[in-house]
Amino acid sequence: MLDQVSTVFQSGHNFGILGPNGAGKSTLIRLIAGSEPPDRGVVRRYARVSFPLGFGGTFHGALTGRENVAFIARIYGAAIHATIDYVEGFSELGEYFEMPVNTYSAGMRARLAFATCLAIDFDVYLIDEVTEIGDQRFRRRCAEAFRQRLVRSDIILVTHNPHTIRQYCDRGAVLFNGQLTMHDDIGTALECYHRLLQENP
Amino acid sequence: MTKLDEICEAAIGAAGSLGTAVDFIEACRLYLAQHEIPEYEFPIFYGRLSEALLHRGRREHALECAHIAFELRPEQEDIVSLCAWVFSNSARHEDAAAAYERLLEIRPGWAEGHRHASGSLAAAGQLDRAIFHAGTASDLDPHCFEFAVHAACLCETAGRYEDAVGYLMRAAAIAPGVSTVLRQMSRLKFVLEESEDAVALALRALSLAPGDRQSALHASELLLRTGRFDEAADIILGTLDTHPRDGVALRLLSAAQMLRGRIAGALEAIDRALAVAPDTAEYYLHRANLLYRLGRLDEAAEAFGRAAALDPSNPDAKRSQLTVYFDSGRFTEALAVGGELIRAAPENEEYAQAVLQVLNRRFETLDGDYIVLSERASRPRRGPRPPPSFCERLRTQARVIHALIIRETRTRFGDSKLGYGWALLEPIAHILMLSLVFAVMMRGRPPIGEEFFIFYYTGIIPYHMFVHTSSSMTYAIASNGSLLQLPLVGTFDVLMARGLLELLTDTLVAAVLLAGFGALGLGALPQDFAGVSVSLLVVWLLGCGCGFLNAAINAFAKSWDKIWVQLTRLLYFCSGIFYVPGMMPEWIRDILAWNPVLHAVDWFRSSFFREYEPHWLDRSYLVMVAVVTVLAGLGLERGLQRRLYEPL
Repeated sequence: MLDQVSTVFQSGHNFGILGPNGAGKSTLIRLIAGSEPPDRGVVRRYARVSFPLGFGGTFHGALTGRENVAFIARIYGAAIHATIDYVEGFSELGEYFEMPVNTYSAGMRARLAFATCLAIDFDVYLIDEVTEIGDQRFRRRCAEAFRQRLVRSDIILVTHNPHTIRQYCDRGAVLFNGQLTMHDDIGTALECYHRLLQENP
Repeated sequence: MTKLDEICEAAIGAAGSLGTAVDFIEACRLYLAQHEIPEYEFPIFYGRLSEALLHRGRREHALECAHIAFELRPEQEDIVSLCAWVFSNSARHEDAAAAYERLLEIRPGWAEGHRHASGSLAAAGQLDRAIFHAGTASDLDPHCFEFAVHAACLCETAGRYEDAVGYLMRAAAIAPGVSTVLRQMSRLKFVLEESEDAVALALRALSLAPGDRQSALHASELLLRTGRFDEAADIILGTLDTHPRDGVALRLLSAAQMLRGRIAGALEAIDRALAVAPDTAEYYLHRANLLYRLGRLDEAAEAFGRAAALDPSNPDAKRSQLTVYFDSGRFTEALAVGGELIRAAPENEEYAQAVLQVLNRRFETLDGDYIVLSERASRPRRGPRPPPSFCERLRTQARVIHALIIRETRTRFGDSKLGYGWALLEPIAHILMLSLVFAVMMRGRPPIGEEFFIFYYTGIIPYHMFVHTSSSMTYAIASNGSLLQLPLVGTFDVLMARGLLELLTDTLVAAVLLAGFGALGLGALPQDFAGVSVSLLVVWLLGCGCGFLNAAINAFAKSWDKIWVQLTRLLYFCSGIFYVPGMMPEWIRDILAWNPVLHAVDWFRSSFFREYEPHWLDRSYLVMVAVVTVLAGLGLERGLQRRLYEPL
């Protein structure tokens, strides 16, 4: 997926990663997150990097929402009660918060996962495709919460949607054929990506 | 003749003062009567008068006179010829054509006459008859270049390309050095889809006139259309050497470079063309397409906009602009362009679809609007976090393992109300049951101590410590796979969490049972508390080592866990749990002494019962095996890191 790539994601910038399907964007995100070790080489993180936003795969179905959140808080050394209170308020799960996660709908799970990720104070948030969750009102609250986070934190975002990239990111990277090309300007990154698509239909 | 001329002059002079045509003709008649001109001279008089009038620019009167002359004597050649000349010079093509055809009846086989008739008929719009006469002219005089070319042009106009090619071949045979003929023939051949001939002719035309711009442009265009891009580019570049500011040539060069895949060169050429002719919509359209290919979407959108502004009748430019805006995520602009398209063509379904698509995408990303770019510009740069120190990493690891242990206690017996209590109750029940069975079977004193319960307890506790630890670690990765997604959780953490949990559980079980025995009055406390603890720790270490090894092996050999279960069953009989090795024949004992768990059991017993000190017990052997398996297990776990992640 990545071949001999050496690059830096500078803090203070939001990065958008572009690439055709199957180029390995998700793998790249997982490498940055540390969810997967590289075959060779190292990934150095000088920041607290989140797990991919909205990733709920770590939730155990037999545990309640509260227990799952407590587990994540323990892992990251966050204040357990504060985290749980935040997630409980944000996710709006009501009494389901005390029920096993495998009684949840997909939307509820996603809400829990999103809230948990936001509850922990990461320096860099990783987003693999901005997924739409909940109703319009909940999405607005997510966006608002995210906007507050972005005052302090950076994001690294993978998406197909150029509009999203333009709105969230100020720098871009194009992943193709195992090479990651960094662009200081999001416009040139989009152009480069577009050219790639034209030349390799 | 002179006499007639004089009469004409006089007649014109006499009629001069009169205004209208009718009056003029009346005046002429009056004049003819007054001067007693014989009637047979009337036609020639009117003919000459008509000629003289045309020379003076009085076309109306000239035509009047010519008509009178033609009607009076349509069979006299010189008069008809004069009339035909007057008609055709006065742009009365139909009259001229009639006159020429009349002449041809008088003089059949007159090639030039046919040519004249053809010209007049063509001008009058009667193409078929014009072609007939042109063909006849050329056939009558096959060596006349002009006749052949004329016939070819008429045939081409009428769409009879093959006939046109025939006449052009005749012309080329007469004058082989005329490049225009070859070029025309090449054009027709291309229309007739004989492109190879067309290209050959174009190249021949160019070789006849190497500096000729028209021939060069024609040849290069044909080469482009037939896929010979490099040759086309060479020819255009040659033309541009002599005509560096030729817009058409630059446009062709741009096309050639684009087709050769040199988009940047194509862009440069079209920019030069636009510098020459800045208001050409087609050039902007081409430029926009090139920019789009290069991925320079913003500029492409602008160029499409210019093309659309220069040529509002062509909706394609606007439609393309919409696509570019859409592709670059500028939905607001795309929507504006789409609105213009729909306003211009409200019935066009494709435009409506495109706008709908834009609207949908815009709606999808509405939330993004909440993040304002300018807010981020002022964000201070965060300094890099230092890499965690060793202590910090140790703390993190401890935290993670702690979290995993808590999670494990909640999930292992998730659906039961008693929860982790089962983990304690199960081995307690097991030990009590089996020791009851053995106590009845053995029917008497145990080999060591007073109570069989205690004896069996001292055997089964170290054995359980080993088996529980090693077996539960085998599945640690498979059942916690999803947790490995969390960056802070590694394979070592999940394995270690399980190992530690088993240590805690089995220690608790041991303590609870001991307390229970005490309460039942079977009171037996371990003689050497430290020795008991150390032996349990060492056997736990051995279990951990085997657990690491199992987890690693299980990643390769999926059925290893089944084999391991059988091995643990075998160990149950080989570890001196319900007997002491001293009861065995020596040769069997020598074999059993290789089993480290046997040493663990005996170590535990020797610390529990002071009087028990078997000579075969080798504590250093057990420690050594434990340390080696732990090192091997950890090494394997490190080395197979990638592989262990895979079961996901």
